[in-house]
Amino acid sequence: MKVNVLRREARDKHPYWESFIYDGPDDNTVAGLLDYINYNDDIINDKGEKTARIGWECSCMQGMCGSCAMIVNDRPVLACEAFLRDFKEPEITLKPLSKFPVIRDLMVDRSSIHESLIDNNVYIGKYSPQEDKDFEQDYTAAKCLKCGLCIEVCPQYTDGRTFYGAPFANDCYLVASRNRGKTGEIAEIYDEHFKKECAYDLACDRICPVGIKFTASMKKLNSIKRG
Amino acid sequence: MEALVIGSGIAGMASAVRLARQGVHTTLASPAPSGHSESVMAAGGINATLSGNDEGDSVDSHVRDTLKGGCGIGGEKAVRGLCEHGEEIIRYLESIGTVFSVDSENRPARRAFGGQSHKRTYYCGSSTGKQIVSALIMEARRFEASGMITRRMKLNFHSALIKDGVCYGALLMDSESFRLEAFYSDFTVMATGGQNALFGKTTGSTLCDGYAAGKLFMQGAELKNLEFIQYHPTTLETAQKKMLISEAVRGEGGRLFFVENGKRVYFMEEKYGEKGNLMTRDLISREIYGCGKDVFLDISFLEGKTIDERLPEVRDLCMKYRSIDIKKEPIPVSPSVHFFMGGLAVHLNHETSIKNLFATGECASMYHGANRLGGNSLLSAMYSGLVASDEIAGRAPHRKYPDFSAYMEDERKGLKKNRDSKSTFPVFYIRDMLSKTMNNNLGIVRCEKNLDEGLSDIDYYLSIAEKIRYDRSVPPYTNFSLKAMLTLAGATIMAAKERRESRGAHYRSDHRDTKDEYAFSTIVSYDDGGYSVRFDKEHSYES
Repeated sequence: MKVNVLRREARDKHPYWESFIYDGPDDNTVAGLLDYINYNDDIINDKGEKTARIGWECSCMQGMCGSCAMIVNDRPVLACEAFLRDFKEPEITLKPLSKFPVIRDLMVDRSSIHESLIDNNVYIGKYSPQEDKDFEQDYTAAKCLKCGLCIEVCPQYTDGRTFYGAPFANDCYLVASRNRGKTGEIAEIYDEHFKKECAYDLACDRICPVGIKFTASMKKLNSIKRG
Repeated sequence: MEALVIGSGIAGMASAVRLARQGVHTTLASPAPSGHSESVMAAGGINATLSGNDEGDSVDSHVRDTLKGGCGIGGEKAVRGLCEHGEEIIRYLESIGTVFSVDSENRPARRAFGGQSHKRTYYCGSSTGKQIVSALIMEARRFEASGMITRRMKLNFHSALIKDGVCYGALLMDSESFRLEAFYSDFTVMATGGQNALFGKTTGSTLCDGYAAGKLFMQGAELKNLEFIQYHPTTLETAQKKMLISEAVRGEGGRLFFVENGKRVYFMEEKYGEKGNLMTRDLISREIYGCGKDVFLDISFLEGKTIDERLPEVRDLCMKYRSIDIKKEPIPVSPSVHFFMGGLAVHLNHETSIKNLFATGECASMYHGANRLGGNSLLSAMYSGLVASDEIAGRAPHRKYPDFSAYMEDERKGLKKNRDSKSTFPVFYIRDMLSKTMNNNLGIVRCEKNLDEGLSDIDYYLSIAEKIRYDRSVPPYTNFSLKAMLTLAGATIMAAKERRESRGAHYRSDHRDTKDEYAFSTIVSYDDGGYSVRFDKEHSYES
């Protein structure tokens, strides 16, 4: 199977395509495929030339950390959960997520997600949970991987300067559900950086690898009485 | 006062937050965000003795279970401190928003875990680690917003800045620019996790490679109990790795069996009675290894609703990676390397043998002795962070820092020289050989012959590593980390060789008995390429 990778040596370098031949097991995932290509003694491209190992991030290799989010045959996925058998195309094409700066090859810089949350004081502070705690929703929301897949498919998210996307709304929900004294403040922040621009396309709900129901969080945040 | 915490999983964040709360500005450095740490993979739960636990349960009972699980070398003072703080830690985690599963009375729910006399493992579904990480990230964010924590990512540990046995910070490498940067600090806390990569792919994170412990060892820090490596009895083989099937499955009643003459043999129950499936991990791993048959774990008899509520992650993992419906069929399981009881030797306050250098979480060796109980790793990750931070907050900062400019210049020049050289020998080839050696010679059952072979292999790889200089196909960190990883592997095998008995997770086919003369921790020190192993009969690290 031919594997095409959109590569880039560093942020300030130009991207280029390089292809590889994968002859490993069929029941592998894309993460397994990358490991297979990378961890041979040498890494050889489809022209038989030695090249640099493909840069990509991984940690858990089982859908629990979100490091390996990338685009496979135009579908944003976690590489460790994307099975080769589920791609019907004859070739596999790998690209980095497009809404974040590329560090190298398939590695992107997602620090903007974290920074927007710090800059807007999205933290709990004094713990005083809502009386109608929704365990199921809280449990799932706290599993957010900050992988960026929801941002990738969001039609509204561009450069993250004003609209911060679903991970931001998710953490706003977590704060509102755990600190009754901060609901008003967090609702305003949520309005400013999410609600105002969200087009309710709900692609975020459909793509989330851990099944977060962003719509349920939004509903609760929207119901908070504004000052 | 300035502190540097290296590693941002649970132990690292617990340290940083506690330091910040006490007014110590802390730099939290790591190669990746906290959400990528191995901590998110901890599944089953966290042990604690709360007032509502079963009748008869107590801190004393938790202490006894932990010491028994650790086969008598866990260190009673340390273990008592750990167990006494269980309730405080659970209450703290609740107060920062950890989403614990709750019982019918809306109290945090408990499940039974292996090797414990009472049900005392508090849990969040089967993603307890992830839920704790999420809560700690939120709490750390509070201090990041106030400026008390400065988080720095994309940084790999290179070496500690040590002079005359005192640590003054660390050299870290930016994983993007590949530049070395000096971080001076009054106190440095290592929270870099276990040494998984020595064994290739384990149940844990690919980020945990043991380099930091290996490098600090080469810089003079002592290591402890390296030979005690926990094989988790129930992991699921997939094309990309062995995935942990949480002990929670057995905690909820899961039964281990193999098939003989067409019939299921519940071998653990037959040999050890009703609680056979909840014996300690080392014992079950040896039983599975010894039976020589394909072993399965069955939970299908539970109501589907209960599985959905209590084991959703296990259900999903089995379906996703092996198309196994755990509500209908058993899970094929086998043991795999899971946790390292050994690591940097630390005193009760979590300071290493290098002054002002601390270690917490799995990279430190404390509490678990020869074998760790399920549910005690999350507890110890939290507790060790608190202990180290409280110690640091009570100490005075350095009066002045020595000049490390010559050391840094040498290291920078050395890295440049290596980058400019050419070598045809790939680093990954050596890393692959290392993992084969470790798996073949330091498995569930060991013997002198295998250990000698392993040591000879490691010596050979080290001799090659000296000549490789640089593999241009991988980043600099992968290059410079190799020698220290090999050195750590050599130290581990040496410790296993010297322990001529069987105890906990260390089982020798040529020394099957547990012997009183070895009822001590092993301490390994490094001397210019040589390893020196001693048994800590003076209990020098229990003070």
